[in-house]
Amino acid sequence: MRSGGVVVKVLLSAYFWLFLAFLLVPLVVLVVFAFDNSTTATLPLEGLTTSWFSEAFTNGQLTKALARSATIAVVAAIIATVLGLMASVGLTSDRLRLRSLTVASLMLPLVVPYISLAVGLVILLQAMAVQTSLTAVVLGHVVIALPFAILVLLPRLRTLDPSMNEAARDLGASDLTAFGRITLPLLGPALVSSFLISFVTSFDEFAIASFLAPSGQPTYPVFLYASSRTPALLPQVIAIGTLVIAFSLALVLVAEGGRRWAEKRLVGDVEFADEVSEENLAEGLVMVAKS
Amino acid sequence: MSGGQIELVGLTKRFGNFTAVDEIDLDIPAGEFFSLLGPSGCGKTTTLRMVAGFEEPDAGEVRLDGHDMSRTSPAKRPVNTVFQSYALFPHLRISDNVAFGLRRQKVSRSEVRSRVSEALELVQLSQYANRKPNQLSGGQQQRVALARALVLKPSVLLLDEPLGALDAKLRRQLQVELKQLQEQVGITFLYVTHDQEEALTMSDRLAVMNSGRVEQSGRPRDMYEEPETAYVADFLGVSNLMKARITDAPGSRSAVLLGDDFTLTAGAGDLALRGETTVTIRPERVVLEQAGVSGENRIPGMVTRTVYLGAAQQVHVQMASEHTLMVLSSHQGDEPAAQLPPGTAVTCYLPAAAVRVLRPSAGSAPLQSKSAVATK
Repeated sequence: MRSGGVVVKVLLSAYFWLFLAFLLVPLVVLVVFAFDNSTTATLPLEGLTTSWFSEAFTNGQLTKALARSATIAVVAAIIATVLGLMASVGLTSDRLRLRSLTVASLMLPLVVPYISLAVGLVILLQAMAVQTSLTAVVLGHVVIALPFAILVLLPRLRTLDPSMNEAARDLGASDLTAFGRITLPLLGPALVSSFLISFVTSFDEFAIASFLAPSGQPTYPVFLYASSRTPALLPQVIAIGTLVIAFSLALVLVAEGGRRWAEKRLVGDVEFADEVSEENLAEGLVMVAKS
Repeated sequence: MSGGQIELVGLTKRFGNFTAVDEIDLDIPAGEFFSLLGPSGCGKTTTLRMVAGFEEPDAGEVRLDGHDMSRTSPAKRPVNTVFQSYALFPHLRISDNVAFGLRRQKVSRSEVRSRVSEALELVQLSQYANRKPNQLSGGQQQRVALARALVLKPSVLLLDEPLGALDAKLRRQLQVELKQLQEQVGITFLYVTHDQEEALTMSDRLAVMNSGRVEQSGRPRDMYEEPETAYVADFLGVSNLMKARITDAPGSRSAVLLGDDFTLTAGAGDLALRGETTVTIRPERVVLEQAGVSGENRIPGMVTRTVYLGAAQQVHVQMASEHTLMVLSSHQGDEPAAQLPPGTAVTCYLPAAAVRVLRPSAGSAPLQSKSAVATK
């Protein structure tokens, strides 16, 4: 039996590394070809250059699409976080009725394909005689980001001692003051986390943006898709793609590390910060499902 | 700080079909240390929360110094609470925690500063003013919670099992400190606990609660020496509960029939009661005599176990009436208590004055036979 155990271990190990390679090789390839001095992404490489990067930044359409995506993502993230906070507060109340129905509706966008959502939203807009617009994209993105905001905020809200809010009121604070001075500051790092996750969700999103953005104003993912038909643009697109990947990576690292640091600083205790940092989206989902 | 008199009139609270607090009437004069004692689920915490304002009564009133406060928000009552989990604000320094309530009022900055340092001195934590709560020990956090409540000079302080999370030694120390604090500050303390020793040692008066009702209230000594029901007798200290039938006896006494063979004369408790009920005698009132002694209120028995407590010994005796007694015998003067190994035949003398007839409980809590444990 022992030799059987070793074989299984080796196979699992190999599977793990292959899987990792499968995920990461495309990204590595992208980075490599971003510096390739050739207009086609083929081997062998024809020398290194950074000209694609400078060309990309002078390409007005590309930079405008990037700016559009970033703006939409920021606005959608703020709205999703605020609404997510309100939803989380509501979900922690004892007096909530139809709890399962409420949770299910809020989490629905997680399981509905975005393309279906996009089609539904377009039909809705037409029914209301409203034109496609970037605002519509923002709203669509708020819908898909909201579940993530709740998944981050609700568990954090749950770990707060409910007696604290009572203590604040006992000491003379109004409900609003108690929320603003006690609950909200303690949620700080989680709010930032929620913002970042919502930002990334919106920035990356293709289906809703492609249906709801006006034709001359594509978001970055939409622009990418369109420009895949134009071979000349490819190197620039690859260059920007590399930057976006690097930026996302940095963002995630900063977000996680920053959150731990912020938690520690907030309450001045190492143990407490570690307890909070154990939370991840999967745990959040379980907690929400149980609520 | 004026007043602090609490009156609970017919106070009731229901959660769905469950009645947590069932028409409680209590009168607590200003400046008293009053405890609500009972097991989990008896309604003591719910009662406290109604006095604090976190729960609204379904019926009855909470009156403070004569004013009906039943519907007033907790922020507006001259009452402050020390929570079981302390509920300190982890992101604020100790001084800011204590200052929190003051800053909600129109108090000048300098006054806030001086009152905060006064409060921290009162609980001996002045040197920790700039720390955060997670950097203090449990006992210290407890004191911060106290300071934070007392700095507002409330008429009444509510304490919800504040010592529950602390180890035994720290608990005893803080019990003494809390009592001294209350005497020093002079306000009414309403204290909720399930620990009978705590309630007996600290309170001026206490109430034992059972299933949402007050079973008995009074001074610790009266409650211990003269419990009215089996529930109260069993909850406070160790009691020897014996099921028996009560019939008439000459004079102002009752005859207690234990089983078919033995009769005691009872001189305490509800002597008008007849029929099936429970009688009790405190372990320290039973006298163990040599085997074969006859006379009033004497029942033969055999020692089953002796637990040595140092200052005294617990002797477990199986009586011929099939009841088990726990007897506390202590060393008196220069006569050491007799050594009673298991198997020794003895005679149990239960003095009539110490045999108490108990009436049935008002609540539905079942009678728990107290297994013989060393007194805490």
